[in-house]
Amino acid sequence: MTTATQFEGIYHGLSTDVGKMRFAPAGLGWMSTSNPENKLTIPAGDIKSSQWLRVARNYQLRLFLNAKKDEDDEGRRMTFDGFAREDHEKIIGLMKQHYDVGVETKEISVKGWNWGTTDFEGRDLTFLVSNKTLFEVPLTTVSNSNIAGKTEVSLEFATVTAQTPEEKKKAKFVDELLELRFYVPGTVVKEVNSDDSDK
Amino acid sequence: GHGGKEVKGWKRFQSYKGEGGLPREAETLRIWVDRKNQTVILPINGFAVPFHINTIKNAVKNDEGDYTQLRIIFQTPGQLAGKKEDTPFEDPEATFIRSASYRSTDGHRFDTLCSQINDLKKEVNKREQQKKEMAD
Repeated sequence: MTTATQFEGIYHGLSTDVGKMRFAPAGLGWMSTSNPENKLTIPAGDIKSSQWLRVARNYQLRLFLNAKKDEDDEGRRMTFDGFAREDHEKIIGLMKQHYDVGVETKEISVKGWNWGTTDFEGRDLTFLVSNKTLFEVPLTTVSNSNIAGKTEVSLEFATVTAQTPEEKKKAKFVDELLELRFYVPGTVVKEVNSDDSDK
Repeated sequence: GHGGKEVKGWKRFQSYKGEGGLPREAETLRIWVDRKNQTVILPINGFAVPFHINTIKNAVKNDEGDYTQLRIIFQTPGQLAGKKEDTPFEDPEATFIRSASYRSTDGHRFDTLCSQINDLKKEVNKREQQKKEMAD
């Protein structure tokens, strides 16, 4: 008899390497299907909290882990994509049963609107439409930010240019995000309000 | 109140009713034009981010060495081009996404995507124009 529950077709992070994930009392494990060398385990005691949200590859289980001594307070975060909508209840049960951790459900916007509000949550910039998440970008992936004029803010993302023929071939299958530009009409007003001495 | 329907000629539109509406193709983490739902889906940090064609102004393609760049430009207030009434403009205090730029070594694919987006935009504009003419 085994007390572990396994899910197939799960991705770790943004990698295209698909694998399986096991939930056991001692902790979580993920292993790539094509490359068994590519695997990881998370001890039960490391798991601090979790979230469930819709992403491109179906549903994501996001784990927040306790910070190690040499890390900053934010701790680590791990994401696993590829869960089915129907797995939700099962995941809630497993997380509670094995790790005594709740699963917060994040609502995602699929309205198709390009206006909303920005918010900083931990290390992420979140864009919200009608209070639902449209997307999040980790600030660690932002290589440069510019303010053009008084109402435009741009975020440039770190990229690695393909050098070898193999890398170039791989790059063919990736649509790499370079930059996002935002129109922020509120910034001018804020600047004026906070700087009365210039008047 | 009941004022939510139209704001200064701005017609409410929506890509999908719920998460279940996102097409399977979004799973590839690549740009996808969902013609049926008049929506362009952009991959941003693993999210499938839908943008209704009404929020898009146009797409521009640029070749640079091994890479091709695709920039999707959105409708935002404070732009010179475009009629005011065509701008999706519900909340003037909101932050707008103005553009998103991608690159790929598959120039042919980005070529196709660029045309698909601009063609869809033209099609929708044409239909809107016809509707207006019918109404007059």
